[in-house]
Amino acid sequence: MQTVETLNEGLKRGYKLTIPAKDIATVVDRQIKATAPQMKMPGFRPGKVPANLVRKMHGPAIHQDALNSVVQDSVQSLLAEQKLRPATQPAVELDTGYEEGKDAELAVTLEVLPDVPAPQIDGLKLERLTVAAGDDEIAEQIGKIAAQSKRHEAAAEGHPAVEGDLVVMDYKGTVNGVAFDGGTGEGMSVELGSGRLIPGFEEQLEGVKVGESRELNVTFPKDYPAKELAGKDAVFAVTVTEVKVPAEGAIDDEFAKSLGLTGLDQLQELIKGQIEQELNGLTRTHMKRKLLDQLAEGHDFPVPPSMVEAEFAQIWQQLEHEATHEADVEAAKAELEKDRDDYRAIAERRVRLGLLLSEIGQANGVEVTQAEMQRLIAQAAQQYQPADRERFAQYVQQDAMAAAQLRAPLYEDKVVDFLFGKAEISDRAVTRAELEAAIESEDGFASGTHHHDHGDHDHGAHDHGDHDHGDHDHAGHDHDHDHAHQAPKPKAKKAAAKKAAEPADDAVKADPVAETAEVEAKPAKKPAAKKAAAPKAESEEAPAAEKPKAAKKAPAKKTEA
Amino acid sequence: MAKKQDNAAIDIRHYDVIVGPHITEKSTLLSEHNAVVFKVAGDATKPEIKAAVEALFNVTVTGVNTMVVKGKTKKWKGAPYTRSDMKKAIVTLADGQSIDVTTGI
Repeated sequence: MQTVETLNEGLKRGYKLTIPAKDIATVVDRQIKATAPQMKMPGFRPGKVPANLVRKMHGPAIHQDALNSVVQDSVQSLLAEQKLRPATQPAVELDTGYEEGKDAELAVTLEVLPDVPAPQIDGLKLERLTVAAGDDEIAEQIGKIAAQSKRHEAAAEGHPAVEGDLVVMDYKGTVNGVAFDGGTGEGMSVELGSGRLIPGFEEQLEGVKVGESRELNVTFPKDYPAKELAGKDAVFAVTVTEVKVPAEGAIDDEFAKSLGLTGLDQLQELIKGQIEQELNGLTRTHMKRKLLDQLAEGHDFPVPPSMVEAEFAQIWQQLEHEATHEADVEAAKAELEKDRDDYRAIAERRVRLGLLLSEIGQANGVEVTQAEMQRLIAQAAQQYQPADRERFAQYVQQDAMAAAQLRAPLYEDKVVDFLFGKAEISDRAVTRAELEAAIESEDGFASGTHHHDHGDHDHGAHDHGDHDHGDHDHAGHDHDHDHAHQAPKPKAKKAAAKKAAEPADDAVKADPVAETAEVEAKPAKKPAAKKAAAPKAESEEAPAAEKPKAAKKAPAKKTEA
Repeated sequence: MAKKQDNAAIDIRHYDVIVGPHITEKSTLLSEHNAVVFKVAGDATKPEIKAAVEALFNVTVTGVNTMVVKGKTKKWKGAPYTRSDMKKAIVTLADGQSIDVTTGI
């Protein structure tokens, strides 16, 4: 096999390979020898077909197979020989004039992964902002729950109904003196002011007392569903049987029991757990963002354009999709168009951080175990019909790409965890507001770093994007971009962050989807895992951090998930 | 059919005499003795077979042996029937000559 380098520019490489006919022939022979024992042909016992007959009957097909395998082998050996790490699946073109029995000439073009400088993972300093779940917050949460489960108690004798009270009544409705279908009923309860009935009905009930009868004159609205009644005047004769006033949502053991718990203490525990989980999510997001910022600051290397392109295409697609949901689609698109360069920079940053993280993971032996993989698959399978789950699991096991997609987010998380373990972490207790502000501010102005952490996963992604801009570019233009963008964004980001913080489950579930998308974007097999990790992170970040516009919400969610 | 000239006339009858090659394990073993096995028409004679093979394949035939392979008796829904008989011809070629049996006539 002869190799000639035809292109070496940046990360792109081109080679011309010549495979001698002899090599191909030996492969064909080997293949025939291998297949002959399994051949069946009428007139011969199985496996007794002579080789020359096999060649006659199946020669062209075997030759094609052999050629393919020779080409693949030679590309592999080329990669090994030149110590290339492909970022994309190498594009192989067979010389058009090729015929059987001639030397085969191949043109191979590919992009290589950049040599990621040995990442400096020592001496990272991180600050962990911890927030204790406050009693106020717990009480507030419980209050909300209480408000949702309203109770009413019978009112004192002679209590005139006011807005908010529950009135139980028997009624008979007539139009022009004729009772109509569905116009008569007993024991209907209405909460005054809730607006569930015909306009005017509830208002006229105000001040009513138990046992009182009233005639209510109402007009059915024009768009009333029953057509024969729409727009007509009606008279309802109402007899009130009961008036109930809303009970104060007393927060006590009784209330907790009505929720199916054993007591108020348990309810408080539960709420506290929820809040802590959310806060932990926020804390982690913040740390991750910081971490990524630091990483991004410390490293700058060229990234393969095709990967950036794929990442960018993905971001862009999502943005466009979101734009279609805007009130003014054209305007939204125009806005997007303006920020195109920014998004591209974000894509680049994501790719870079992704590469970096995978490099760190590899160098330090971070691995996703089989058991974890099984768990992931099971989780991902949840979104399918039970009947399809089995098939999904099989599909994942067989398809390396699909598996890589699944694995990527977990891998990224593990790498981040590993880095957390390495880093010097100082704890600082802050309030929730401060923590959120920290996350937001980073998003907003600090050039690179801040962005990172929106969602955990996402964070990574977000952050990457943002960071990269700012961080890498310190000197450069990017800052400007970032600032501008970010400033308007904080809100969106917050939202994102919160979402991110939400229970891990969600995140996990969501991930597969996000990942897949990302993965697809990624080209090569080997790199798939790495890339996947990277892209995800990036993609996630991107949406949250970057989109200033309405789109944010949706993207943020996705990303996080 | 490309070989017309050499052996002069290829009669249309030649194509009827030679029905097809008979490719089996046994027949490939015979190729070591420079012999080729054909299915031939049931009414073909040895001289006819020799003439047909020489004309169609442009070779020299040194001997022809024939045999009739009786059709098997089979049953279908209990009713016996027989498969058609088949006449086989083992044609020995002159030294150094060969016929590629897998390429049809």
